[in-house]
Amino acid sequence: MSKANVVKGLDKEGQRISSKNFEELVQKAFAKSRKLKLETYGQHNVGGRLNGAGKPVEIEIDGPCGQRLGCMGLPGTTITCNGPASDDVGYLNIGAEITVKGDATNGVCNATAEGKVYIGGSIGARGLTMTKWNPEHKRPELWVLGSVGDTFAEFNCGGIAVVCGIEPKNPQNVLGYRPCVGMVGGWVYYRGKTDGSYAKNSVKAVLPDDEQWAWLMERLPNFLRKIGRPRLLKKLSKRDEWMMLMAIPPQDRALMFSGPMPMAEFKQKIWNRGFGGGDPIRDLAPGLDRSPIGMIVSGDLRRRKPFWANRDKAAPCAFYCPVHIPTIDRLKLMREGKEQEAYAMLMEYTPLPASICGHICPNLCMQNCSRQVVDEKIDVQMLGRAARDAAAPKPAKSLGKKVAIIGGGPAGMNAAWQLAKAGVEAHIFERDQQLGGKLAQVIPWERLPKAIWDKEISRFLAMPGIKVNLGVAMTKEKFAELKKGYDHVIVAVGTHQPRTIPFPGHERVLPALDFLKGAKSSKPPKIGKQVVIIGAGNVGCDVACEAYRLGAEQVTLVDIQKPLAFGKEKAAAEALGAKFQWPVQTKEVTAEGLVDAAGQLIPAQTVIISIGDVPALKFLPDTVEVVTVGGAAWVKCDATGRTSDPKVSAIGDVERPGLATNALGAGKNAAEALIAAFKGEEYKPFSKTVVAQCDLTHAHYEPQRPGATAAEEAERCMSCGTCRDCHLCETICPTQAISRETLPDGTYRYVSDDDKCIACGFCADTCPCGIWMMRPF
Amino acid sequence: MVSVQSIANTPSSLTPNDLPWIIDHNEERCTLCGRCAAVCPVGTLKLTYMRKRMPKLVLASSERGSSYKTFVGIRQSTEISKRCIGCGTCSMVCPNEAIRPLPNQARDRFRFLNTQQGEPVKRGGRRNEPGPNLLDRIIFDRISMLTDPALDAGRHEFSCNTLLGRVLPPEEYVRRKMAGEWIPPVREIFPFVIGSMSFGALSPNMWLGLLQGVAYCNEVLGIPVVMATGEGGCPPWVLRSPFLKYIILQIASGYFGWDEIIRAIPEMQCDPAAIEIKYGQGAKPGDGGLLMWFKVSKIIARLRGVPEGVDLPSPPVHQTLYSIEESVMKMIQTMSMAWNFRVPVYPKISGSTSAKAVLNNLVRNPYAGALLIDGIDGGTGAAYHISMDATGHPIASNVRECYLDLCAQGKQNEIPIFAAGGVGKNGNVTRNGMALIMLGASGVHMGKYMMQAAAGCLGSEADRCNVCNIGLCPKGITSQNPKLYRRLDPDLVAQRVVDTFMAIRTEVKKIMAPLGRSQSLPIGMSDALGIDDKAVAERLNIRYVC
Repeated sequence: MSKANVVKGLDKEGQRISSKNFEELVQKAFAKSRKLKLETYGQHNVGGRLNGAGKPVEIEIDGPCGQRLGCMGLPGTTITCNGPASDDVGYLNIGAEITVKGDATNGVCNATAEGKVYIGGSIGARGLTMTKWNPEHKRPELWVLGSVGDTFAEFNCGGIAVVCGIEPKNPQNVLGYRPCVGMVGGWVYYRGKTDGSYAKNSVKAVLPDDEQWAWLMERLPNFLRKIGRPRLLKKLSKRDEWMMLMAIPPQDRALMFSGPMPMAEFKQKIWNRGFGGGDPIRDLAPGLDRSPIGMIVSGDLRRRKPFWANRDKAAPCAFYCPVHIPTIDRLKLMREGKEQEAYAMLMEYTPLPASICGHICPNLCMQNCSRQVVDEKIDVQMLGRAARDAAAPKPAKSLGKKVAIIGGGPAGMNAAWQLAKAGVEAHIFERDQQLGGKLAQVIPWERLPKAIWDKEISRFLAMPGIKVNLGVAMTKEKFAELKKGYDHVIVAVGTHQPRTIPFPGHERVLPALDFLKGAKSSKPPKIGKQVVIIGAGNVGCDVACEAYRLGAEQVTLVDIQKPLAFGKEKAAAEALGAKFQWPVQTKEVTAEGLVDAAGQLIPAQTVIISIGDVPALKFLPDTVEVVTVGGAAWVKCDATGRTSDPKVSAIGDVERPGLATNALGAGKNAAEALIAAFKGEEYKPFSKTVVAQCDLTHAHYEPQRPGATAAEEAERCMSCGTCRDCHLCETICPTQAISRETLPDGTYRYVSDDDKCIACGFCADTCPCGIWMMRPF
Repeated sequence: MVSVQSIANTPSSLTPNDLPWIIDHNEERCTLCGRCAAVCPVGTLKLTYMRKRMPKLVLASSERGSSYKTFVGIRQSTEISKRCIGCGTCSMVCPNEAIRPLPNQARDRFRFLNTQQGEPVKRGGRRNEPGPNLLDRIIFDRISMLTDPALDAGRHEFSCNTLLGRVLPPEEYVRRKMAGEWIPPVREIFPFVIGSMSFGALSPNMWLGLLQGVAYCNEVLGIPVVMATGEGGCPPWVLRSPFLKYIILQIASGYFGWDEIIRAIPEMQCDPAAIEIKYGQGAKPGDGGLLMWFKVSKIIARLRGVPEGVDLPSPPVHQTLYSIEESVMKMIQTMSMAWNFRVPVYPKISGSTSAKAVLNNLVRNPYAGALLIDGIDGGTGAAYHISMDATGHPIASNVRECYLDLCAQGKQNEIPIFAAGGVGKNGNVTRNGMALIMLGASGVHMGKYMMQAAAGCLGSEADRCNVCNIGLCPKGITSQNPKLYRRLDPDLVAQRVVDTFMAIRTEVKKIMAPLGRSQSLPIGMSDALGIDDKAVAERLNIRYVC
C-alpha cells in the first residue's frame, strides 16, 4: 500500500478547521491520492462522495470523528475509524465499507442503501433504521460486536444486522427496547438476552437455518479481522447461541389475524372458562339454543306460519243474515251440481225463503256481499224466490216434547219449524184467522205476492209436528194453562198495539196497523181523496201505496224529523205521487185535515198515524220480566229468548222491533236452545267472525254481468272463507311447501310442510277465499 | 266493468307516497321467491294481485267489451301500524336486487297521522337529525411535532388510558397513605366506554357478544375497555365471572336486577369496574326507562325479578328522592359500602343547564367517583319522539362549562367528567370522543356507535328502522325473541368490538402524536381545538379558525 496523504483537522494555530473547509482539503488531497489519512477533529460528513472511478479508495480516520462518518459513501471506498464514532455513521451510504473500531452513537446506518458497517463496540439508539435495498445491488450490512440501543431497525427495509452480544452495554438486553417496529425487509442475527419487546406484527423470531448459518459463519471471520478481534471466532461460532428476527412479508401479514389470538381460541380458552366451561346464561335458561341462524328459516324458527283455516270464518252473507243462512254453501252445492241438497240445506234455516229472502227482507246478505268489490252483489233475492217449491225437510224422531207458541208470525213460525224438524211438537196459538202475522196482515200483496205466500204457508202447514190454532185470544188464564200443559211456552205475539199521540182530534186518526190490516182484508176501509200520514217511515210508505190503491188522489207523509223511509218502499210511494213534508209537528186534527204547530192546515179527509206499534202483553204472568222503553213494555230476555221465567221464552218484535228476518233468526235461536236443552246437550250459538275483505283476493275474479239464474250466480260467488279447491296456493308457494291431501272420508285439505315453508305468506296473499292465515306461533 | 263500490276515506287513509319509506319493487327482476315478505320485520310486504282492464277500442270493429289481465307485485301496506320502516332487510335477502325501500323525498304526510289512539310516536334508536353535528366540525389544529419532540403514532408507545374515580391531590394522597387512611378507588380504563345498554334492551347475543369483545380487548390486547350494563342487572354467572371487572353496573330508578347482584356479591371473584347511578338519560331527559312487555321474555323476567310479559317502567325519578343532594349522597354511600369502598361510584345525568349544580355537589362529596353527562344526541331503546328529538342539552358546551368550573376551583384533576350523547353519531367516533376529551371530558360513553359498528345496526338519523322499542330488530340486536336474536352471532359481534377498539386506539394515537402528547390523554387540552364558527368558538372557549 502506498503511503497515505494526510489531511489534518487542526490548522497551524491548532484551531479546528470547519467541516466545509476540511472537505475542500480532503477533495484536494483525493485528487492526488486514492489513499488518505484523515486526522479529524470533529469534522462531519467525512469519507463520503469520494469517487475512485473503479479503483479502491482507502480512508483511515484518526482522532475524534464527527457525525455522519461515511455519509453518502460510494462503492469501492473503505473507511477505517481507529477510535469511536459519533451519530449517524453510514448515513445515506450507498456502498462504502466502514469500520469503527470503538463504539458508535445513535443512528448508525440510517437510510443506508448498500455497503457494510463494522462496529467493534456497541451502538446507540435507532441503528439500522430506514435502510433501503435495491434488488439490483447488495443488501446493506451492519455488524456490531456488542449491543444496540433502543428502537433498533425501525422501518428497516432490507438491511442485515449482526449483533454479537460481546461486552454489551446492557447484558440483559442486547437489542434494546422495541426493535424492528415497522420493519418490512431484511433480518437481524443476534446473540444474547433481549426483553422480547420486538414488534410482533413486523418480525418473527426464528432460529437460523443452515443457509443463514452458513452466511453468518462465512462472513464472521472477516468482521472480526476488521475490528481486530479474530480470537472471538470460536466463542461466536456456537450455533445454539444465535437467534434471528425475520421481517414478515406483507403477504403473510395479511393472513395473520389483526389481533394476536383468533376469537375462536379466545372463546374456548378464556371466555367459556370464565363461566365454568359453558354458556354464560345456561343457568337462566337451561337448554337455550343461542347458535346463529340465517335470515330465511323454516320450521320452528319462523316467526309465523300458515294455517289452512277452512270455514273458520263466516262469509258476509251468512254472518250478516240474522238467520245466518249460509248462502255461500248453497251456491257451492249448486256449483257441485247438488241442487236438491242446496234447497234442502236452505229449508233447514227457514220455512219462508221465497217470501222473506225473496221479497220482504232488505237482504243484509247482499248488502255485505264481497262480490260487489268486483262487480255486483250476488242476487240472493232471486235465490230465495227459486226456493218456492223446495221440499220441506223430514222431521227427526219425536223427542216426546211439546211447545206452545203464542203468535204465528215469522218468529213463531220459524220456532215451530225448527222444533218440528227436531221432533218436538209445536202448537201455534194465533189470534188472527191466518198465519204470518204482519207479513200476512199488513204487507201489501204488491210486495209479497199472494201465490208465493200461499205456497210457503201450505208447505209450512204440511210439516208434521206443527199444530196451528187460529183465532185464539190470549189471556192470563189461558197462558197459565198453556204453561202447565206444555213443556215450554214461546211468546211471539209481535207488536199489534199502534202507538198514538193524544193531540186534539186524535180520535179522528186511523192507526196505520188497522188501516193496513183493513186494506189487505176483504173489506177495505173507505178513505178520502186527500190523505195525510203522520210518520214517514217505510210503514208510512206502505200506507201511502195502499191509500192510492184504495182511491186516494193526494197522499202527504209528514214527520217531525227527516223521513226515515228508504229503499223500495220509499221509491214505490214516490212513484205513486206521495209527497214528503217535514218538519211538521201536529197541533191538532180536524175535519179539514191536519193543523201543524204554525197553524197551517194540510187538508185531508183521512189522517193515518204510522209511528210504530208496541206489544200487547196483558196476558203475561208477573214471572216474566219486562223492560219499559219509549213508554211501552217489552219482554226482557237473553240471546236465545229465555225470559226470567225458565219455562217461557220470547222472540221477535215482542222483545225488540226488527226485520222479519230478525224474527226468523230469533225463532231459530230460541228453538235450537230449547232443543239442546230437551236433548241435554250444550247449545252452540253461531259464533263465527266474518271474513275480512282484506283477506280475500278480489283480483282473481273478472268482472262480469250478474247471472240470470241461480246456477250463474253460483259461478260468481267468491266462496268467502270456504276453500274452493283452486290450487292457487299450491302453485304460488315458492318453496313447494303446500300440497293437497285427500282424506279417507273423501274430503280434502291443503297442508303446508313446516320444513319447507319460509313463512312468506304468499299462500295467504294469494288465496281468493281468505282461507290461509299467517299466525304467530 | 269496474266496481262502483266506494273506497273508504278516513283522515288516516294514506297512499304509499305519503309514507316515510316507499318500497321500490322491480316486477321484471322479481322471482317471487318470497324472502322479502318472509323477513320483513313489520309485515308490511305482501304479494299483491292487481287486475288490469283492457277494453276493446277498435273504432272499425263491432266487437265490444273488455278483457282482463292479472299481474302481481310486492307491495307495502299503507296501514300506519304496518308502515315500511326502511330497514332494508328485504334488499338484504333479495337474490335479484328487485326490491328496496326508498326514503320519501317529499315530506311524508304520515308524520301528521302517527298519533293513532291518542298515542304519540315512540321509537327506539336515535335523534332524527342527519348531517354533521358540532363535534364533527371541531378540528385538532395544533401540530406540535415541528416545535416539540416528534411523535410517531405507529412507532412510539402511547398511554391512551384515563382514570375513573376520585383522584386525591398529591399531598392529600401522601398524607392518607402514610396515615393508613382510605384512598378512593381509581380505575385506569380506556377512555372510550361502551355506554349503558341493558340486558333486556339488548338481546342476549348482543350483550354477551359485547362483553366477550370487551374481555378480549382487556385480556388479549391489553386495552382496558369497560362496558356499562344499563339498568336490568347482569346474568348471575357473569356476576361471578372474572369478567365482572370490565363491567360498570348501573342502578336506576326501577332497581331492576339488583336482587341478583346483591345475592352474588359474596361470591364475586372480582369487583365491578364501577357503579353508575342513573338519574337521567340524554336521549329522554326527564322521562323514565321502559322495557315494553314483548321484550320481557322468560330470561329477562328471571334476571330482573319480575313476571314474564309485563311492561317494566323505570320512573323518571327515584321514588325516594327528595333532593338531588340527598339522593346522590345516599346512593353513592350505599353503593360504595356494598363493595367496602373499593369500587368507584358515580352518577349519570342528562345534559342540562343545571349540570354544574350537580357537579359542585359531587365535588363536595368525598365518595363521588366521577360525573357522567349524557347529551341530547344520545340513543335509547324506547322513547317518545318529542323527548328524543327536542328535549335535552347538547353535550359539548355542557361538558365544557362543567370542566371550566372545575378548573376555576382547581379541581379539574380530581373528579373526572365523562361525556356521552352522539359520540360517533356520524361514524367519527374517535374524532368526536377526542374533541370532548380536549374540551374537558376524561372519557366518553358510546352506545349507538357500538351497535352500528359491532352488530351492523341498520338505524340512521334519517328515521330508518328505529324499532328497537318493539323487539322486532331485524338484526337481532334489540330483540328478546330467539327467532330474531339468533340471527346475531355473538362471536362476530365480539370480533367487531375488538376491531373497533383496535382502530379507535390507533386513531387516538394519530390525534395525540401531532399534539406532542404520548403519555397522558389530552384532557382539557382545548388550545389544540379549532372550529370555523366564531360563535361556537367563543362559547366553547376554543380557537376560531378558517
